[in-house]
Amino acid sequence: MNEKITYTQAFEELQSIVEEIESGQISVDELSEKVKRATFLIKLCKTKLTTTEEDVKQILKELEDGEE
Amino acid sequence: MSEVINDKKVFSLLEVTLSIKKTISERYQRSFWVKAEMNKLNHYSYSGHCYPELVEKVDGKVVAQMKTILWKEDFLRINSNFLNTLKEPLKDGINILFNATVNFDPVHGLSLRIVEIDPVFSLGELEREKMETIEKLKKGGVFHLNRALSMPLLPQRIALISVETSKGYADFLKVISSNSWGYRFFCFLFPALLQGDRSVDSILYQLRRIRRIKHHFDIVAIVRGGGGDVGLSSYNHYLLAKEICEFPIPVFTGIGHSTNETVAEMVAFKNAITPTELADFLIQAFHNFSVPIHQMEETLVSATSGIVADEQAKLLSAARYFKSVTNQLLIHNRHELKSYSRSASQHLAYYFQQKKLLIADCLNRFRRGSNSLQKSRLMELSTIEKSINLMDPINVIKRGYTITLKDGKAISSLADVNPGDQTTTITVDGIIVSKVVNTKRNDPT
Repeated sequence: MNEKITYTQAFEELQSIVEEIESGQISVDELSEKVKRATFLIKLCKTKLTTTEEDVKQILKELEDGEE
Repeated sequence: MSEVINDKKVFSLLEVTLSIKKTISERYQRSFWVKAEMNKLNHYSYSGHCYPELVEKVDGKVVAQMKTILWKEDFLRINSNFLNTLKEPLKDGINILFNATVNFDPVHGLSLRIVEIDPVFSLGELEREKMETIEKLKKGGVFHLNRALSMPLLPQRIALISVETSKGYADFLKVISSNSWGYRFFCFLFPALLQGDRSVDSILYQLRRIRRIKHHFDIVAIVRGGGGDVGLSSYNHYLLAKEICEFPIPVFTGIGHSTNETVAEMVAFKNAITPTELADFLIQAFHNFSVPIHQMEETLVSATSGIVADEQAKLLSAARYFKSVTNQLLIHNRHELKSYSRSASQHLAYYFQQKKLLIADCLNRFRRGSNSLQKSRLMELSTIEKSINLMDPINVIKRGYTITLKDGKAISSLADVNPGDQTTTITVDGIIVSKVVNTKRNDPT
């Protein structure tokens, strides 16, 4: 799963899935898919907390481009 | 000491200047208090003396200006008073109330010598400037802009405006990089002067650079510390405060001082007293993100297993119900079947009994019937036998008749024979073989 998703989106989607499951308004057929998705989102959020992807070189390049 | 040249009374330049000096020193014997705007301090670090440029403006136009001298000793004393009272050194562009004497020097001309500057007056002036900045920001509708931005869910990428060698910068980095939860931040330093007059331009320059590449950052943090409380009035500067207000991403401040909150701090998205406190706040934001995720994880596990358990219970109860219902149905049907079979066999036995009786009765009747029939038939038969016996040709022959045959067939008509044919005639006691000589038809009459 390589989709680009911000942690805000991940967080909100996770919240809605958990609410849905918690409210019990979900069929057993859907449950497996939803749990799978929620697990993925939890992992994603946890990863976001402990890693950063910013590229210093790219930032420097953009700064220089703007100052020329 | 004047001399007369060509009937004219002539003074030397020195005589004139000394006369002016005398007049002025007699007229202005005592010092007095003056209010003016100090455009430039003009401090010469080599001599230590200052030659402030004092002006008075009306509607932005200079209406009075005078050369001023502030000797080194006076400057040092006054500056130290300022630092104590205003937390600011003497600097350009402030209104001051000063005690001065008027001096005239034959070489340097007229000047005011400053002997004292009232720091309390300037403090009021600074406060007034600060209020003006606030007023202008509010009037321009920008005062609350940065505060109105929404807090990023994870303030992870930080554009840091600080000084690499400052204690505040080190404190900040230490707290956010060595947190025990493993949270990772990305800090990019934009070095700037953080106090004194030049800090306004320096910080503005970096803010404008950050603005251009703002998509790389979640927040801006202005971090200062260990620099004492001096030279912070630049944070009340209108342009700096306005830039912070209008900045497109949240600006956090951790300027680290004990004086009143500056305008920059007031308008910033969030003001922490110290860099360390700011770092703690950011880590707390990570907690605020992390803790609900943990909770959601737990909720997910418990809710899901709840649903599964519920479904299992439902299934189990359905299975039990099904079993019990089918059992009952089986028992019921078995009973019914047994009772049907019993009743069927009773019915059958009765039915067979009835039929047996009926058959026996039929048999009897048949027997009886057939006996009488047989007798009557036997009688009929003997009558017929008698008739038949009577009709037997033998019996006819016995009564004297004969039968003549040709080729085994009885001759009953003339047509059956022709003269010359051989015939056989049966009699009662044998046969006669003859030859037809002639035939004669009976007369029709």
